[in-house]
Amino acid sequence: MGGALGLLIGLAVFVTILPGTAWAQEEVTSPIYQYRQKEMSTGYYEQHEASPLPYGPTTGGQVLREGVLTLAPTAAPVRRRTYLADSHQGLRFYRRLTCIKCHPRGALDIHTRRARLTCRQCHGPEPIAGINHYYSAMNSSRRHAYICAKCHEGASVSFATYVVHEPSAQSLATRESFPTLFYTYWGMLLLFLGTLAFFVPHSFMVGLRELVNPKEVFGEMMSKSSRFVRDRIPIYRSKLNEVHSKAKKERDKENMENEGDHAD
Amino acid sequence: MRIKRFDRNQRLFHLFLMLTFLIQSGTGFGRLFITTDFGRSLSSIFGGYEIALVIHFWVGTIMMVGFTVHVVYLVKRIDRRNLLNSILGPDSLVLGPQDAKHLLQRIKWTLGLDSHPKLDRWAYWEKFDYWAVFWGLPLLAVTGIMLRFPLLTTKLLPGWTLNIAGLLHRAEAILAASFIFIVHFFIGHFRPHSFPMNEAMFSGTVHLEEALEEKPAWVDRLKKEGKLDPAMAKPPARWFRVFYFIFGYTALGFGLYILINGIVYGRYIQLH
Repeated sequence: MGGALGLLIGLAVFVTILPGTAWAQEEVTSPIYQYRQKEMSTGYYEQHEASPLPYGPTTGGQVLREGVLTLAPTAAPVRRRTYLADSHQGLRFYRRLTCIKCHPRGALDIHTRRARLTCRQCHGPEPIAGINHYYSAMNSSRRHAYICAKCHEGASVSFATYVVHEPSAQSLATRESFPTLFYTYWGMLLLFLGTLAFFVPHSFMVGLRELVNPKEVFGEMMSKSSRFVRDRIPIYRSKLNEVHSKAKKERDKENMENEGDHAD
Repeated sequence: MRIKRFDRNQRLFHLFLMLTFLIQSGTGFGRLFITTDFGRSLSSIFGGYEIALVIHFWVGTIMMVGFTVHVVYLVKRIDRRNLLNSILGPDSLVLGPQDAKHLLQRIKWTLGLDSHPKLDRWAYWEKFDYWAVFWGLPLLAVTGIMLRFPLLTTKLLPGWTLNIAGLLHRAEAILAASFIFIVHFFIGHFRPHSFPMNEAMFSGTVHLEEALEEKPAWVDRLKKEGKLDPAMAKPPARWFRVFYFIFGYTALGFGLYILINGIVYGRYIQLH
């Protein structure tokens, strides 16, 4: 009996030590908690995201007060916001902010721009759990099932390693965080610039050469397309007529000389 | 007097590539620029954002079937009894040291420092055109399949490879379209020698004079091999010329429409 009581007390203590639960996807899984209904919304993205309801009672763990983030350097990695049940706790004027105010790049990916997803469709309603929080639906151990699979039925753990909020590919910081993306971007950019840097001036030079000195290009034998140019562009007409008459004279002269040789 | 330059199969391959490439450009860039007015207009031609993707996928599939047929055609064209000449000879599109020589000589020619190189059947820029498509198509196909089937892809590869595939697909598409709409169009149709249109790929023939001017080594070789007379061809019918002028300029206009708007609206989109 004493042992069972001890076990219960132990469990109770253990439960209090565990981090609080995080709301994950009620707005999708439950017909009651549709966050669009709970929030005042004009229908526009920014306003819609701007006024979350007050925190619910499920926010667990230590609540940090505004302005008193006094973490020891060694504790900082553990208490990083991505590990908190409420990743925005203690932030000043949080309720007046929009997501993209602090996470501008977060709204520049394909999911938000193309599929028109709002932040909370993946990150959940307030309090928004840190993506690494133990119970967060965004936790990498269950993200594929709780988040990705909402739209991508059958998503696997591997699938969930797709980087939704891609870092800026050209940024030097990306060389550390996502080197393959960084080098792919710069490789393709160099290929693009290298190809055009060679072929555009080269083609231009060829065009210019053909334009300013038609003799070497067209000679006296002209293709129909070249005649088309000659007949429509005055500078060509005079230049080519000059070239042709000169060539004709030379040819006649040659013929006469040849005939003379034969006569001899 | 005209001389045969491209046979029916080669012209069909070009026509096939031209049509599929333009459709892929329209649907692909329509989607890439969908957040802009240009993207929405372009997509609307193909039935909107979603339908454009369906078209993009199926035309891409048809393109890959065409590419496979082309590879089979290439393999069949190889003369095994004369393998080296078949692969590296003057009728082959494989780049060789003489192409580098011609390139340097032509650069000097543009500066007035040398005569024009005596080109054979394929000029270096034509070979570059060909190989650019040859490596670009499989790259677009592989990355396109990865993006179209992300669940299947991530059974074999990590999910972040989709980020790379997306970037590669778009970057290669932009490179290919820029090259075709700027360099290929200019070399093929707008430079004084080709203007108003290089008809060879449509009619299959060129004027003998034109070939003598630009590809004298080819004509000389045909003469020596006794193939010049059999290569003589009739000029295309007038109605056919009218048809391919209209068709060619429509394609050209569509390409330029994408190019100009792509440059104008480029700042509003992200590559990745």
